[in-house]
Amino acid sequence: MISLTDVTKAYPTQSGLHVVLDNLSCVFEDKVSYGILGVNGAGKSTLLRLLGGAEHPDAGKIERSGRVSWPIGFAGGFSLALSGEENCRFVARIYGADFDEVIEYARDFADIGEYFHMPVRTYSSGMRARLAFGLSMAIDFDTYLVDEVTAVGDSRFREKCKHVFTERRERSSVIIVSHELGTIKQYADRYALLRRGKLELYDDLAEVEKLYKTAA
Amino acid sequence: MRELARGAAVMGRVIYALALRETRTRYGQHRAGYLWALAEPLFFIGTFFLMFWFANRTAPGGMEVIPFLATGVLGYDIAVKTMDRVSLSVEGNRPLLFYPHVQPLDVAFARALLEFATGVVVFAIILGAYSLWVGELVIDNFLVVLQGMTLAAVLGLSAGLVLCAVTVMNNAVQRIKGPLLRPLFWVSGLFFTANMVPSSAREYLMWNPVLHCTEIIRDGWFPQYHAHSASPTYVLIFSVVLMFIGLTLERRVRPRVQLT
Repeated sequence: MISLTDVTKAYPTQSGLHVVLDNLSCVFEDKVSYGILGVNGAGKSTLLRLLGGAEHPDAGKIERSGRVSWPIGFAGGFSLALSGEENCRFVARIYGADFDEVIEYARDFADIGEYFHMPVRTYSSGMRARLAFGLSMAIDFDTYLVDEVTAVGDSRFREKCKHVFTERRERSSVIIVSHELGTIKQYADRYALLRRGKLELYDDLAEVEKLYKTAA
Repeated sequence: MRELARGAAVMGRVIYALALRETRTRYGQHRAGYLWALAEPLFFIGTFFLMFWFANRTAPGGMEVIPFLATGVLGYDIAVKTMDRVSLSVEGNRPLLFYPHVQPLDVAFARALLEFATGVVVFAIILGAYSLWVGELVIDNFLVVLQGMTLAAVLGLSAGLVLCAVTVMNNAVQRIKGPLLRPLFWVSGLFFTANMVPSSAREYLMWNPVLHCTEIIRDGWFPQYHAHSASPTYVLIFSVVLMFIGLTLERRVRPRVQLT
């Protein structure tokens, strides 16, 4: 479970303070998958970094119970100079997981062949996302934070993602952010719209769809 | 209490993983790898040995020239290189801070640990090789040598933390840091000992904590050298004050560390 109380986050920009999250309070419950919709720049990635704890709110409090993943997606996380395998080893080490298991799972899942032993610098963004996804699924989390990642790869990879999500949903929750309605529809049980620094939760997809279309 | 123990366990794991990773990214890029850590001080010692030799100069107080230069430069290196690496903990590791487990302080500690370990190994290799060459090894007090090196590392870590936080506020600091700290090279006892300078000058020189470190290392290494003016307590107090400032600043700039 992750609960936010009066969370505010702003970034200084050249034209003054840009408020990304404005006095936000909400609760993400266990074993429920949330899909958060937002247009580009609405603050989806920032929200995920705050939920994971990599960044801290300017004001307010975020409480977590259980293990929360890092935001899984295209951006960041890998050392470009190290190989995929070495990156997996590092992550397994910081999370106290078994190296061999994590490496094997991530290699199988990412399915990037010989690239697994080459520096991440040489990867395409799709390959990075596949590795990021495989690596995070190799470690047991209570909540997975996902940043658009499933939109990448071919249909076989997407099928694999869907399969693993369905299997995980029984014991973990997933919070996925996207600007695509389709992604959210596919993976989430509950829906939310992030706009103007606020997050509105809905049970009904049709309602979000309507609001999102007028917002976008 | 259990929360604290779990937190400490995670932190230990993270620092260990980071130190291993740093070793790989710092030294693993080239074939010669770790040898680079040796090359730099060896180059310094070689150059100045030749200068001493041509100028017909001897080391002060009956010390042999090579160990005299080695103890100076290696002590100085531990302090300054640790500071340098720690000050870039955030700048150089943004992708890692992506993992919530990894906090800037973990990176700083991992880097300081690696610099210290490297410093000790380089010291052992250079002075070990020299001892094999001359066929004699006399260490006055090994623990005092280690004390000097530890103090240098703690000092470097503390100063590095302050610089690291200031860098987050304004990274121009990294550009002016070099010229600003250059004088340290000349006043940290690389070419002299505190005992040989006039007491009027020594009074001022002893404000420099790095000089205390090199003095302590030489006191421990050479049976014939006694560092009368060096004080471990002074270095420790200096470090604790810097550490306090560094940690306070770190808390203040923490929300400003942007990951992308």
